[in-house]
Amino acid sequence: MSRGLAVYIVQRLLLVALTALIVSSVVFIGVHQLPGTALISERDTNPATEQILMRHYHLDLPWPQQYWLWITGLVHGDLGESLVNRGVQITPLLLREASVSVTLGVAAVIITVLVGMSLGILAAIRQNTWVDYLASTTAVIGYSVPSFVWAFLLILLTVSGFYTWTGGFIYEDIGWGKPEQIPVPALALGLPYAAIVARLTRASMLEVIRQEYVRTAWAKGLASRAVILRHALRNALIPVISILGPLITGIIVGSVVIEYLFGIPGLGQEFVNSILSRDYNIVVGVFTFYAALVGVANLVVDLTYPLLDPRIRY
Amino acid sequence: MASLPTSVEASQELLLSELPEQMSMAQDAWRRLQRNRLAVIGLAIIGLFLATAVVSLVWTPYQTWQQALGPTYQGPTPAHPLGLDDYGRDILSRVMGGAGIALTVGVGASLIASCTGIVLGMLAGFYKGKVDALISLVVNIFYGVPDLLVALILVVLIGRGIFNVILAIAITGWLGMARLVRGQTLSIREREYVEAARTVGTPNLMILVRHILPNALGPIVVQATYLVPAAIIFEAFLSLLGLGVPPPAPSWGRMASEGYKALQIAPHIVLAPCAALSLTVLAFNWVGDGLRDAIDPRMRR
Repeated sequence: MSRGLAVYIVQRLLLVALTALIVSSVVFIGVHQLPGTALISERDTNPATEQILMRHYHLDLPWPQQYWLWITGLVHGDLGESLVNRGVQITPLLLREASVSVTLGVAAVIITVLVGMSLGILAAIRQNTWVDYLASTTAVIGYSVPSFVWAFLLILLTVSGFYTWTGGFIYEDIGWGKPEQIPVPALALGLPYAAIVARLTRASMLEVIRQEYVRTAWAKGLASRAVILRHALRNALIPVISILGPLITGIIVGSVVIEYLFGIPGLGQEFVNSILSRDYNIVVGVFTFYAALVGVANLVVDLTYPLLDPRIRY
Repeated sequence: MASLPTSVEASQELLLSELPEQMSMAQDAWRRLQRNRLAVIGLAIIGLFLATAVVSLVWTPYQTWQQALGPTYQGPTPAHPLGLDDYGRDILSRVMGGAGIALTVGVGASLIASCTGIVLGMLAGFYKGKVDALISLVVNIFYGVPDLLVALILVVLIGRGIFNVILAIAITGWLGMARLVRGQTLSIREREYVEAARTVGTPNLMILVRHILPNALGPIVVQATYLVPAAIIFEAFLSLLGLGVPPPAPSWGRMASEGYKALQIAPHIVLAPCAALSLTVLAFNWVGDGLRDAIDPRMRR
């Protein structure tokens, strides 16, 4: 790793930290302007207990002071304590859930890229044949059908379908914890974006395969596999990589719904549950996590550019 | 070339007769759009969707909220072509009513987001300097933030009425539009005709409204079209999580959410709204693609 690259990575990570700080501060301040908290919903607490609880969570302080306490906690990696489940520290909880969400997200990104690129390449090299039309039509339908609809269809297919067709031999319930439960939600999450990747790959491949160096590669008698994969695809991928950033944000958004539907104990489900139970400490915590995740994912995407195009350097 | 015309009048006559019928840019784009088969199908589906939405305001086969019309979870029958849901409500009526909600949310959110994005994007691109720095900073920071989470928080903060849901969707929707309009404005403001307008003393506001906005309108219309299906999906996401347009309004997302618990025994409850939703989104995407190709043929893939 060159020195320039190391400096670049450090700079970007600082920027990620700054963005996460600003975003979570906005959410923190916004949320703390509200009249109610999770504590209000507890009808049976007597005033004395409420006093103790308010002091315990520093809710008796004016919000600038609460904000300062929260910021000092944040730089130490401490996101505070859950308002609903007392004594539960948020940082370890969210780290555990983030590992679940990241597993699902990475699986979805892999599916997205593999399915999308294969369809796109296929459509490009068989341009204006039925393969192209089929792949292109599938792609438009693919990104118009939202992830949760794919989820319903896949659940019907794998849970009910496989059970009925194999006479009860295969039964796999939705959920989380077993490796074989990962592909279905990951597929539901990734399919709409796979369609977008397919469209982009097709357009970009079509542009590249008309270039002269590709003709040269054909002319010198290389196998079509080598021409397509080594010469054309590598350059065709550069514009495709550029949408991976927004795509990852999209997958994170989609994962909130998918985790909720499949009962996957990740950050998304935690976010929905805590927002419904008004556990604002966790809401702010999840936001901080997501802002950091998006930033880091975008950094990883940007670091892949030099691998594809040696002219790009940091 | 044949014999040269002898007078000015004759030359004008010749030119007018040789020129094809004159066409405005919009007419030209419309003609190209009509040649795009998928865009025409999309327009037809959107027409059906609009008609359904309007009709559902005054008439649906049954009231959308009317329960116990028959056995719950009943599949399709002649009286109820799409079956009944978990409360025994007629699903066809509810899907029709859902079109109205989807239309309101989709068009409402797209309009608000577009107007905000256009104004802020033009300000940033036209005045540059500090105004641009401030607007771009806000856009860049929040561009990476997952929009659904912002909307979820906002809906909890301000409540779940249909207007609040629209607002929650628009609050992040304008970012993309602002980016697009800023880029367009930055390039258009350097053109000769803008310079000419400035030389004759046209006020800034006039330049923005009369020269920059009309010339950036093509990409803006395309982006605004894409914002409609995005907002419809967004509302479905919110409803699915129980935070969309409040019941008993028959939002497609809510219908899917309510039917999910009975997916195995009565898949028709979930499939009907999902099909309506997907078809509407598909139609808008086709029209958006068609518009993009029609307005700027160079962007054609």
